[in-house]
Amino acid sequence: MNESPSVILIDDENDLLKALRRLLKAEGFQVACHTSAADFLAAARPPSPGCIVLDESMPGMTGLDLQRELVAEGSTLAIVFLTARGDIPMSVRAMKAGAVDFLTKPVKDKDLISSIRTGLKKSSELELNKKEVDELRQRLETLTDREREVLRFVTQGLPNKKIASLLGLVEQTIKVHRSRVMTKMRAESLAQLVVVAERLGITNQES
Amino acid sequence: MNWVIVVWTGATSASLILAAIHLFVWIRNRKAWASLMFCLMAACTAGMAGCELAMMRVTDVDQLGAILQWYNLSRWAVTLALIGFIHFYLGSGRPWLELTVIGLRTLALLLNLLVSPNAFYSSIDGLNRIIFFGQAVTVVEGIPNPLILVGQVSLLVLAAYLVDTTWRAYSAGAYNRALRVGSSSVFFVLALSLQTMLVLWGVVEAPIMTSLFFLGIVGVMAFELSEDMLRSRRLAENLQQREADLLRERKLTDAVFQGAPGLLFLQSQEGIIRRWNKRPANPSEFIDTKIHDFFRKEDHSALSESLEKTFSEGSANFELDLVHSDGSATRHFFSTVQIEIGDKPHLIGIGIDVSDEHALGLELALQKEKLARVSQIASMSELSSSLAHEINQPLAIILSNAEAAQRQLDLPVPNQNELREILKDIVAADIRAADVIRRLRSILQRGQPVLKPVAPSSLLNNVLRLLKTDLDTSGALVSKKIPKRLPNLLADQIPVEQVLINLIKNALEAMHENGTRGKSLILSCAAEGSGVRFSVRDNGCGLPESGDWIFEAFHTTKPSGLGLGLKISQTIIQAHGGRLWAEANKGRGTSFHFHLPLRPETT
Repeated sequence: MNESPSVILIDDENDLLKALRRLLKAEGFQVACHTSAADFLAAARPPSPGCIVLDESMPGMTGLDLQRELVAEGSTLAIVFLTARGDIPMSVRAMKAGAVDFLTKPVKDKDLISSIRTGLKKSSELELNKKEVDELRQRLETLTDREREVLRFVTQGLPNKKIASLLGLVEQTIKVHRSRVMTKMRAESLAQLVVVAERLGITNQES
Repeated sequence: MNWVIVVWTGATSASLILAAIHLFVWIRNRKAWASLMFCLMAACTAGMAGCELAMMRVTDVDQLGAILQWYNLSRWAVTLALIGFIHFYLGSGRPWLELTVIGLRTLALLLNLLVSPNAFYSSIDGLNRIIFFGQAVTVVEGIPNPLILVGQVSLLVLAAYLVDTTWRAYSAGAYNRALRVGSSSVFFVLALSLQTMLVLWGVVEAPIMTSLFFLGIVGVMAFELSEDMLRSRRLAENLQQREADLLRERKLTDAVFQGAPGLLFLQSQEGIIRRWNKRPANPSEFIDTKIHDFFRKEDHSALSESLEKTFSEGSANFELDLVHSDGSATRHFFSTVQIEIGDKPHLIGIGIDVSDEHALGLELALQKEKLARVSQIASMSELSSSLAHEINQPLAIILSNAEAAQRQLDLPVPNQNELREILKDIVAADIRAADVIRRLRSILQRGQPVLKPVAPSSLLNNVLRLLKTDLDTSGALVSKKIPKRLPNLLADQIPVEQVLINLIKNALEAMHENGTRGKSLILSCAAEGSGVRFSVRDNGCGLPESGDWIFEAFHTTKPSGLGLGLKISQTIIQAHGGRLWAEANKGRGTSFHFHLPLRPETT
């Protein structure tokens, strides 16, 4: 209902959580706090877009562990690391896994807030992308098995004749399938169909 | 062949041979008075036997008278010799009895010389030839002289003397001698006395054969004497054997003393050296040399202490510098034991030159010190890095709070309560930062631990205060067990607190995954031995299978952390002369303990 962007603070240091919450609240963010990764995972997922400000060194599950978990479940939440004792390998790992930033304590408000904003933007992009992909996937669901096969060959750049011989059908039949695929996937050109297939990760599926 | 002649001449010659043998014995050993007396006795017995044989063959009364005179002289002498022998051999006669017998006997002899014809007979009627056991012998026919009683009484007194002496010797413990010598003499004396009386009073018609009885006595005594000689021969042989054994042992001891590779010495309880395998150059100096002379003055008290310990406890081990005659000194390890020599306590000691080992030990100690310094530097860098981390936390809190406050102040109506809260948190974080800096400084400044008396309870309470946030955040149930009366420790407070902090933080981390089981942290301290034991017990995930390497540097089970926390803690505790160890709980979790002595032995 409240549409202010949400920030999730995860740090084992209670006093720091308190201070950061004050700061970010004053900046107009909606703030949720957790003292451990497990605590966060146990709670209900916050709405996206959102940005997690994550301490790396925590007892139990570390920040990097949590990041891995979230990536695996396809979360669209952005992650900003905030740590007291970070080193280069650690920061490289975090950034490679998709972190927005890797900040060290004590952090200036400007830096933190700008990172959070970047994170929120990224999160909403991710969110948008995810929505689109979801829709495309729904469209893909409407195809028959034969149509899916034709889609795969077409996006691989094969001519109708070749597809017909591969599937043991006549060229005319392939043409009919192809036009049905274009309609169902709402693609106006072959180029658009290829882009859609790429977003759905179909092209590389060699049978 | 006339058997009378055979018996009496045999008796004569046997007696003479025995007399000659013992005369020879006496000449070889002039102190063997018993042998001389025996020799006399045997010689007189031979004389008596000769006279008796002559009397048995006499044909003329005048001749008989002369023989009787000689015969009496022999009897007198044999009695005296017997007394003399008993006197020297049994050595227990009463002198007055001896004198009485000698007196009576001498009186009998004198009477014999004074009265006519002799003390045996008042008148001699004639000589009779009788058949004595198939042999014709001469016996005297006459009226017995009452004066003969004097001689007989003297024999009875002699018998009494012998009984008395035998009894006294027997009581004194010389059973065999007393029984054989004493009883046989008594028996033969009484027998010959009886025979003489019977013959003189004409009750029995037989020649006087006193010499045979004396020969019996002589025989028993000769047997005794030769027994004695055999016995003393055996004793002498034993003695020789013992001496040879002693000599062998002595040679062995000498070989051991001289061949011992190190030092070997024997000294009295007063500290005088009796033997010493490495004698000083001048042996005269060795006389009355004290063991202390081979050691430095400043080592004397330590030496005395070890020597006294040897005498009181039986043995001791110690290491000291042995000073040589040229003034140089080498390190020796000594081992001493107490032994009794001639009922007096002595001490045998061995000393082994350990100067090489000692040098090696010094070298090792140096290396160890270097290592310790390196590890101290490593510890310091780890400590500083962990403290830098710790200081960043309060700084981050302060910064963020201050920035939040600035934003509040930018509002048209700042929230006073919020500002107050923020400032309170800033102050708390600031105090925390100051505390971290204080610790950092104390660690960086350290050369030696700064030892001050500190109450164990205050250590624990300080740490609990410092870790309040961590403990609150963790949600662990903390219980404290601190006895009322605990002695103060002499310790460097901040490092020891740091150890407790490390252990408690480890415990909290170990319990992090406890979930529904709940977290329980038990902190306790208790007096133990001459110190205090601190324990941190958790119910967390426990130690890995083999827990030894948790104290090794750079070992860690945590993704962040250099793995030096426990190593540093151990170093700190060891610097206090204490011990840090871990043990798995019976149920779940781990207990870490450290023991601190009341006062560390600082060198």
